[in-house]
Amino acid sequence: MSTLSLPNDASATVDWPGRYYHIDQILNTPGPRTDPAFLAGDGVKGFLRNEAKILVIGAGGLGCEILANLALTGFKDIHVIDMDTIDISNLNRQFLFRPKDVGQPKATVAAEFIMKRVPGVKVTPYFGKIQDKDDDYYMQFNLVICGLDSVEARRWMNATLVNLVDPENPESLKPMIDGGTEGFKGQARVILPTITSCYECSLDMLNKPTAFPICTIANTPRLPEHCIEWASVLEWPRVHGDKKMDTDDPEHIGWLYKVAAARAQDFKIEGVTWSLTQGVVKNIIPAIASTNAIIAAACCNEAFKIATSSAAYLNNYFMLIGTDGVYSYTFEHERRLDCPVCGGEALEIVIAPDFTVEQMIEMLVEKQDIQIKKPSLSTPTKQIYLQAPPQLEEATRPNLEKKVSELVPPGGEITVTASTLPFSLSLRVTYSL
Amino acid sequence: MAGPDIDAATTTIVAEAPPDSKTRRYDRQLRLWAASGQNALESSRLLVISGTATSTSVLKNLVLPGIGHFTILDPAKVTPEDAGNNFFLEGPSSIGKFRAEEAVRLLGELNDGVEGKADLRSLEEVLEKDKDWLTEFTIVIAHNLEAGLLERLSALLWEDESFPPLVVVRSAGFLAEFYIQFHEHAVIESHSETASSLRIDKPFPALLDYSASLDFENMDVTDHGHIPYVYILVRVLEEWKKSHNGNPPSSYDEKKEFKKIIVGMKKKIDEENFDEAEAQAYRCWTSSTVPSEIRALFQDPKVKSLTPKSAPFFHLVAALAKFTEEQPPNTLPLTSTLPDMKASTNSYISLQKLYKARAEEEKTLFKSYLTVPVDDATIDAFVKNAHALKLLRGKRWGALDKNPSALVAAVESAPKQLSIHLSLSALSSLSTKQQPNAPLTVTVEALVAEAQALLPAGTDLPENFAEAVGEIVRAPTADLPNTAALLGGMVAQEVIKMITKQYIPIDGSCLIDLIETWTGVF
Ligand SMILES: [Zn+2]
Repeated sequence: MSTLSLPNDASATVDWPGRYYHIDQILNTPGPRTDPAFLAGDGVKGFLRNEAKILVIGAGGLGCEILANLALTGFKDIHVIDMDTIDISNLNRQFLFRPKDVGQPKATVAAEFIMKRVPGVKVTPYFGKIQDKDDDYYMQFNLVICGLDSVEARRWMNATLVNLVDPENPESLKPMIDGGTEGFKGQARVILPTITSCYECSLDMLNKPTAFPICTIANTPRLPEHCIEWASVLEWPRVHGDKKMDTDDPEHIGWLYKVAAARAQDFKIEGVTWSLTQGVVKNIIPAIASTNAIIAAACCNEAFKIATSSAAYLNNYFMLIGTDGVYSYTFEHERRLDCPVCGGEALEIVIAPDFTVEQMIEMLVEKQDIQIKKPSLSTPTKQIYLQAPPQLEEATRPNLEKKVSELVPPGGEITVTASTLPFSLSLRVTYSL
Repeated sequence: MAGPDIDAATTTIVAEAPPDSKTRRYDRQLRLWAASGQNALESSRLLVISGTATSTSVLKNLVLPGIGHFTILDPAKVTPEDAGNNFFLEGPSSIGKFRAEEAVRLLGELNDGVEGKADLRSLEEVLEKDKDWLTEFTIVIAHNLEAGLLERLSALLWEDESFPPLVVVRSAGFLAEFYIQFHEHAVIESHSETASSLRIDKPFPALLDYSASLDFENMDVTDHGHIPYVYILVRVLEEWKKSHNGNPPSSYDEKKEFKKIIVGMKKKIDEENFDEAEAQAYRCWTSSTVPSEIRALFQDPKVKSLTPKSAPFFHLVAALAKFTEEQPPNTLPLTSTLPDMKASTNSYISLQKLYKARAEEEKTLFKSYLTVPVDDATIDAFVKNAHALKLLRGKRWGALDKNPSALVAAVESAPKQLSIHLSLSALSSLSTKQQPNAPLTVTVEALVAEAQALLPAGTDLPENFAEAVGEIVRAPTADLPNTAALLGGMVAQEVIKMITKQYIPIDGSCLIDLIETWTGVF
C-alpha cells in the first residue's frame, strides 16, 4: 500500500481556533453536579488531548460509532482491535466502510477513515485477536471500550482487566466500558474491575440462546429451523466429512438451504427460506445504525466523563428498549461474591449423590450463571476430566461415567477451567439426600 | 399418531436464488422490518432543518438504512466551531463552504440509493414565500430552532391532518429533549411480544372434535408422548367443565387439581408434552376475550363515524368490532401462528393445519364485514396483529406548556423530566429575547425567571431544577458530539418507526440526561 500524506500529519495540523468550542464549554466550567476534584480548563484539556490513551475493542457496528465519537470529543491517541474483515451486510450501519472496502480488515479501514476525517487524531489499528495481546499491552491504556458481539470475547477481556489490577498500583485499574445491541434494544455499562460488578457477575442476565434438542432435529422436526439445523448439524458432516462449513460462503449456505428445504417438503413443513437458513446457521442478530449510535454514544460519553471528571459517570448499567416507545432503565448491578472472576468465593452447588461427571459437565455448559463450554474438571489432588491434550483426555475419559460423589467428598472443591477463558471457577460441592 | 387427515401435500419447492446485493446489504435490518418496512423507508422524503452535528447524526442513521430522499435546509456557512464537532464536515477544509452542501455530499457517500439535496434558503424565507413546500415531506425534523420560528413551523404543520409530523429536537451540553408532533399514528405491525390466543378455552369445532376423539388410554406409548399439549388441554378442560357447571377452574385449589389431572394422565414419567400441558394450563382459565385496549379502539370517534374516505385502518377496526360482536365466540379472529411444542411431526403439522383452516374461515368472515376494498397483505397483517393494534393520538408541540394542570402535576410526578424540559424552554425563550448575532448571555437568574414564567403563577419550580439549569448555564450552545450521536440514534429510531408504521413510537416528550445517563418520557 502506498502511503499518502494524510491531513492528520500531526505537525501539519494544529487545533484551529474554535475547534473545541462545543466541548470546551464543558471543560472550562464545572456543572452543579461535577466532582470538586475536576480541574477545569487547560489541565483537563491537556490530559484528554495529549496524554489519554484509549483502546477500542471491535471496529464493527458499535466500533465505527465509538471511534468517530472519541475522535470528535478530543481523544487523540486511540487504538482499535478487530479480527474481522468487511462484509457487504455491514454497510447498513458500519458507516466508515464503503462497498470498495468489502474484504478489507475492519480495524485498518476504520482507522484510516477516522484519521482522514478528523485531523490530528492518531488511530492505531490491530487486525487480529484480543488474545494475541499480553498484559503489558493492555497496561498502556487509560480506558477500554468494548463494542463486541461475542460473549466469549467480552468474558476474556473482562477477566484480563480484572487480573490486571494490582492493589499497589492505582494505574493498573483500567475502567472497561461495555456496549451491546440487538435490534432496537441495547445496553451500556461501566465496569471498574474489582470495584464494581464485572461482566462475569452479570452472565445470568444474558438471553439463553435457542438450542434445539438433537432428537427433535433428527426425528420429529416441526419448525423450519429444525430442518435447517438438521442440514447443518447432521447432514453437512455426513456428506462432507471433515470439510469445514463456512457460513460466509454462499455456496455452503445454498447447499444447506436446498437440503433443509427438501427435508421440510418431506415433512410438509413450511417456511424454509434462504434468509432463515442464513439466520439460523450464522446465529444472526438484527442490527441497525440507530441503536448502535445510541449505545456507542452512551459508552463514549462515559469514557469522556471518566477521562475528564467533568461529570459523574454511570453507576453502572444503562439498558434501553426501543420497540415500544423509548424505555430505559439505569441501575446499579451488584457484584457477585461468588463471581469466578472478581468474587473470590467458591460457588456452592448441590447435586444428587448419583450425579455423574458427564451430567455435571452438561450442567456447567447449560447453567445461566456459568456457561462454560468444554470445561475441564479437577480437584486439588486429582484430575477428574481434561478436554485436552488428547492423551489426558483419553486417560480421564473413564471418569465421565463415574459419580461425582465417588471422586469428591461432600464440601470438597472442584476447579473448572476452559481454554477459552483466562480464569478458573471454584465449585464447592454438596450432595442432596 | 397420524392426526386428522392431512391432505396429500402437493407443494413443490421453488428454489430461491441467493439474495441480491441490496438484500444482502440490508439483511440485518430486513430482519426487523421486512420488505414492507423497507419499501416505506425507500419512499420517504425527509426534511431536516439546519445542518448541526445533531442533525447530521440523525440523518446518518436514516441514510444508512435507505430512506428515499432528504433535504437539509440551511443557509449557513461552515464555521470553525462547526468543523470541530460535526463528523459530516471535513475539518478545516470545509470552513467557509455551505454547511448543507458539505453535509449532503458527505452523507451521500454512505448510501448510493439515497437522494440528498441542500437547500440554501432560510426557514423564514420558506415560511413566507413557499410554505406549501414544507408540507410535501414525509417528516420534518428541526434541531435547536429559534422559539418563534419553531412556533410558526409547528403551527403550519399542525393545520391539516395530512401534513407531515414534526420532530422537535433540542439540546444543550449533556441535556436534551425530543418530541414528535403528529395528529394520529396507527400501527398494525407493533411487533408485540404478547402472542395471540390459541383459544383453548373456546375451542373451534374441529379442534374440539379432534381432541374429544383421542383415545388416550389405548394409545401407543410413543404416540401418547407426542400428543401436542393443545389437544391435552382442550380435552381436560372439556371434561372438567362437564363436572363444574361448564366453568373452567377458578380458585387456586381448582387450578392445582386441574394440573394434577394432567400430570395423572402420564403413561411414563418423562412425557414432556404433559409437562408442557401443565405449564400451559393457565391458558384454560385465561379467557380469550377482546383486550380492553382493542375494545377501546372500537369506540374511537373515527370508527364510529366511518365514511368511505376513512383510512383503511379505521375500516379494518370497524369490521373487527362487528366481527367480534356478531361471530361466536365473540373474540378476535383466530391466527395460525402456533408456538413450538413437544409433538411428532405429523401431529404438529396436522394441528397447524386445523388452525390454518379455521383462521382462513374466520378471515373470510372478517372480510365480509369490510365495506371498502383493502389489499390482502394488509388484511393478513391486521388479523395477525389484531390483539396488539395501536392508535396514538398526538398533540401539538407546546401543548404541555399551555396546560397548567399538567405542568403542576408534572412538578410532583416527573420533576427531573420537567426540569430539563423547562430549562431548555427557558433557554429558548431567553435566546429569542436577545439581539440576533450578539453573543448569548445566559445566567441562572435569567433562566429561573423564564422558567418561572412558563409555570402557572404560584407554582414552585420542580426539585432538581437547579441541577438542570446549572448545566444549561455551563454549556448553553454546546452541541456535544456524544449528545448529538445519542440524539441522532434516538430520533432516527423514532422516525423509522413513524415511517414504517412498525413498532411503537414515543407518546410524549423524551428527556435525556447524559450526566446520570437516563431517559424519561412524559
Ligand atoms: Zn465479577
